[in-house]
Amino acid sequence: MIVRPRREDHLVIGKYTGKIIVGVGLLMLIPLATSIAFAEWDTAVDFVISISACLAFGMGTQLVCRTERDLSWSHGFIVASGSWIVATILGALPHYLSGHEGSYLDAMFDVMSGYTTTGLYMLQDLDHAAMGLNMWRHLLTYAGGQGIVVIALTFLFKGTSGAYKVYVGEGKDERLLPNVVQTARAIWLVSLTWLVLGTLALFATGAWLGQGPVRAFFHAMWVFMGAWSTGGFAPQSYNTMWFHSLLYEVIAAVIMIAGSFNFALHWAVWTGKRREIVRNVETISFAVTLTITTLVATFWLAKSGVYPDAMALFRKAFYQLASGHTTTGFATIYSRAFVTQWGPVGMLAVTAAMAIGASACSTAGGIKGIRIGIISKAIVQDIRRMISPESSVVRTKFHHVRDIWLDDGLVRTAMTVTVAYLSMYAFGALLGTLFGYDFVQSAFESVSAGSNTGLSCGVTSPFMPWLMKVVYILQMWLGRLEFMSVFALFGYGYAVVRGR
Amino acid sequence: MALRRRHLGIVLVALAIAVALGLFGRTISVACAYVSPNTPSSTDLVEEPLRWDDRTVSFVGEVIGEAMVRGDMAWLHINDDGYYLKNVEEGSGLHGYNAGMPVWLPADLARQVEVFGDYKHEGEVVEVRGTFNAACATHGGDMDIHATELVRVRPGHAVVDQVRPWKIALAAGLALLALILWWAQRVSGLTLERGAVTRRTP
Repeated sequence: MIVRPRREDHLVIGKYTGKIIVGVGLLMLIPLATSIAFAEWDTAVDFVISISACLAFGMGTQLVCRTERDLSWSHGFIVASGSWIVATILGALPHYLSGHEGSYLDAMFDVMSGYTTTGLYMLQDLDHAAMGLNMWRHLLTYAGGQGIVVIALTFLFKGTSGAYKVYVGEGKDERLLPNVVQTARAIWLVSLTWLVLGTLALFATGAWLGQGPVRAFFHAMWVFMGAWSTGGFAPQSYNTMWFHSLLYEVIAAVIMIAGSFNFALHWAVWTGKRREIVRNVETISFAVTLTITTLVATFWLAKSGVYPDAMALFRKAFYQLASGHTTTGFATIYSRAFVTQWGPVGMLAVTAAMAIGASACSTAGGIKGIRIGIISKAIVQDIRRMISPESSVVRTKFHHVRDIWLDDGLVRTAMTVTVAYLSMYAFGALLGTLFGYDFVQSAFESVSAGSNTGLSCGVTSPFMPWLMKVVYILQMWLGRLEFMSVFALFGYGYAVVRGR
Repeated sequence: MALRRRHLGIVLVALAIAVALGLFGRTISVACAYVSPNTPSSTDLVEEPLRWDDRTVSFVGEVIGEAMVRGDMAWLHINDDGYYLKNVEEGSGLHGYNAGMPVWLPADLARQVEVFGDYKHEGEVVEVRGTFNAACATHGGDMDIHATELVRVRPGHAVVDQVRPWKIALAAGLALLALILWWAQRVSGLTLERGAVTRRTP
């Protein structure tokens, strides 16, 4: 029997959702300040409207939903997934008011893409967009990468045990420190340190490449945010091709690879355990699959003779593949060049890299290296069992911060989530094909949305059918929250209607 | 196992979606919703790189962002999209994504450009002439144009950042609402605390 949620359940969910939306409103103060600094008055007013709407919703909800009850596990999942939807609806206001979006759905697409660190966008005439709006776009990916719940945990939740349940609901389950709020702050400490160092490195390079100091600084900060959060937004429509620089690409690649690593790995290195980088199952899995996909793409591109020399070939192949595998979405080629220059094999290599994705509990999306590692180990273990004497006990362990024995429960969970991702990718690809797009291109785009990558081969555009936009929004949301929270929200909705 | 009514419903909905997709679903061309002043346009160059590779092209468009001077040479980015004469902030309407080409040319020519397109400016429209490279050997495989000539076609201009009155009214109304709710929340919080204290001290 499905139990209908009680009034108290609605209240506790409403209260915490309200808190998170207040956090989103406060976050908009940064783009507001940017707009004021650059005397972009129309954009500044857009942000005043949006901040007020977020605060009114957040405080109004908390006022209506007054309760002292703490969150249960199911509440945590529902708050995490539900608040992402509300944050998307309200966070889309600045985009829509800017006049650069074709519809409110397009604006929501961009905001969901930002929060989920995907990087696909519908915004038109990006090259004439305001500094404030660009700040908001990149802040969305930076904040979304850490998790908007993490932001709220850091600043708005005070010592509630239920906070951990919302944190897990947002697709993160690593507890770096005993307390979840301390964990959230540790994530911020690591991220902000990288922000300062990464921005400085890109700023110095940009200035050396001929950019003015102001543009060099803001481009550096935004490219950092796009890389670290594996978001892939960039301030110009040319993406990172804008800079035409090997050095800039190398720095961006280092940042996006670092950003795609597990926060637990960052914390281990931060606390002096440097060997973790070479021992961790996720980094090993990432290195192996990145090498294989890069080799396949390089072989194909060399065979087709697209690039003039080995250096250009490796530079283009590695950058696009690293960007795809870390689920960042930066590109130094035109979107359509995947079709017109890379061809189906090159595209399939990138699609495979995007599908796998990077590390769990990072800013990246996709199936995740740890699951690929677990499934690979399980297959090897089964083969070993088959060739060992019946009486022997075959056990396997893997290293992820500590040594962990592989058991059936772990393998089953990894397989379940992997199958869920593959089904989602296939559904999006099928839908695109039904709309008349080429299957390889549909698969590329569907995987890009579902794995929160953001590379595009030209399917995503403001002119694509609205149903595909809705499906891509759902794919981005499902992929980022790794299904469970979203299923919990659907279950909650079902229980409200059909429960007793 | 008998087919339940609920299952039948799901099948019917799925069929309806499939029929709707078939009837109303249409492939949207990746081509842009504007007319470029160029033949070949930037879209043509990207769509058929081998056809135009190593050929001399003329390219007209708005210079955006900045000139990145590197020694005696410089990079310009020239857009031939739906916004090259009038951008969204000026009320051009929406014409899809930006589109253009990076152009590598002598720094002296790049320095002639005075206004670059951004939020507050509609950039200068220039015409460049040079060689198109599908994968440039000098620039790590980038798709670009190596230009030797630049002609200024139309000067750039500042764009007025006009605040719409309805937005100010909406901002004031929502800010007031947020303020009232913040005040109400404070009062209600205090009332709750007082209630708790009263309950603890009979």
